[in-house]
Amino acid sequence: MSDHVGKLSAIGDLRRNIAPARDLWPGIASAIGAATPTVTTSDAQPRPVARPRWSLAAIHPAWAMAAAVACVAVGVWIGRETLPQAPAATSSGIAQAVSYVPDARFERTRERLLRDVSARLAELRPDTRARVEASLTTVQRARADIEAALGRDPANALLQEMLVNSYQDEMRLLTTVRESWVGGQEIGT
Amino acid sequence: MADGGAVAGIDEALVARASGGDTRAFERLYREHVGRVHGLCLRMARDAQLAEDYTQETFIRAWRALDRFEARSQVSTWLHRIAVNVVLERRRRRELPVEYVEDAAEYDRDNDTFDTPVEEAELEATIASLPPGARDVLTLCGIYGYAHGEAAAMLGIAEGTCKAQLHRARALVRARLESGVGR
Repeated sequence: MSDHVGKLSAIGDLRRNIAPARDLWPGIASAIGAATPTVTTSDAQPRPVARPRWSLAAIHPAWAMAAAVACVAVGVWIGRETLPQAPAATSSGIAQAVSYVPDARFERTRERLLRDVSARLAELRPDTRARVEASLTTVQRARADIEAALGRDPANALLQEMLVNSYQDEMRLLTTVRESWVGGQEIGT
Repeated sequence: MADGGAVAGIDEALVARASGGDTRAFERLYREHVGRVHGLCLRMARDAQLAEDYTQETFIRAWRALDRFEARSQVSTWLHRIAVNVVLERRRRRELPVEYVEDAAEYDRDNDTFDTPVEEAELEATIASLPPGARDVLTLCGIYGYAHGEAAAMLGIAEGTCKAQLHRARALVRARLESGVGR
């Protein structure tokens, strides 16, 4: 909060999300009788489809910084207006009761990026802001489609891959916006 | 930021899956919402250990109540309602009664100003120093943006009382900041 803030309305700017110091999920899982072990990206158990070159467990702020270098050019448009329907079976033909769950560290990083970008969106040019928001909407709608499809076919490895990719797309977009800001250049210039 | 409809769509899909017994979908809901639930619990409880307990209890109750979730509600609001119930119940067990001021008038001032700059930590400390009733209302209305009607329903108080509490909370925050409490 800046030094010149002097209004009671600053209360509304306080953080709404405050992550607990420890992961509370194990206790919850135990209480609700989660039958199978949690599969997070940091678990040793392999996901059915995994990209060796990329792991959510490895994400941290340094990754986010580095990712900016490799991410697509400014004015990102994630070209996923629609997603294919869930295939009838996994490519391997073997249903595995495993699904993707982002781990707590990834969630914290993503949350921080979302907060940073959210704070800066208002300062972008209207056309740039519209493009960023449209891209984010596309990614998030795609994820909703994937989640719904996973509800029908939880073990589908392709869908799980797509879910991971949707997170990757979102991180790439957020990182692009943030890093362009840090670099003093607005997206699209 | 982000498209509220898309996010709500994700939440609804996850709730539908969790209602069918999919604990992984429920874990995703937990990951998505734990910060917001914990933030509320922490501010209402003023104790990190209690806030973690309350947050955990909130998600356990939510799991058991998934079939009662109404699609017209937002998952985040639904979880907050559960969290407030948990905090209030536990507070009663700990025999920490909340004194709510009576509804004396309509209080709609939202733009009071301080005479001095305010830092986030200072503001949080000052809010934490408030009496429970005023703090609860300020947390729900001031920080999380609930309307008086919503906050009053969560807290089980009259809407007028909620307005009076918010007014009282703002006055106390202003006075305490100006006198240096929380620094």
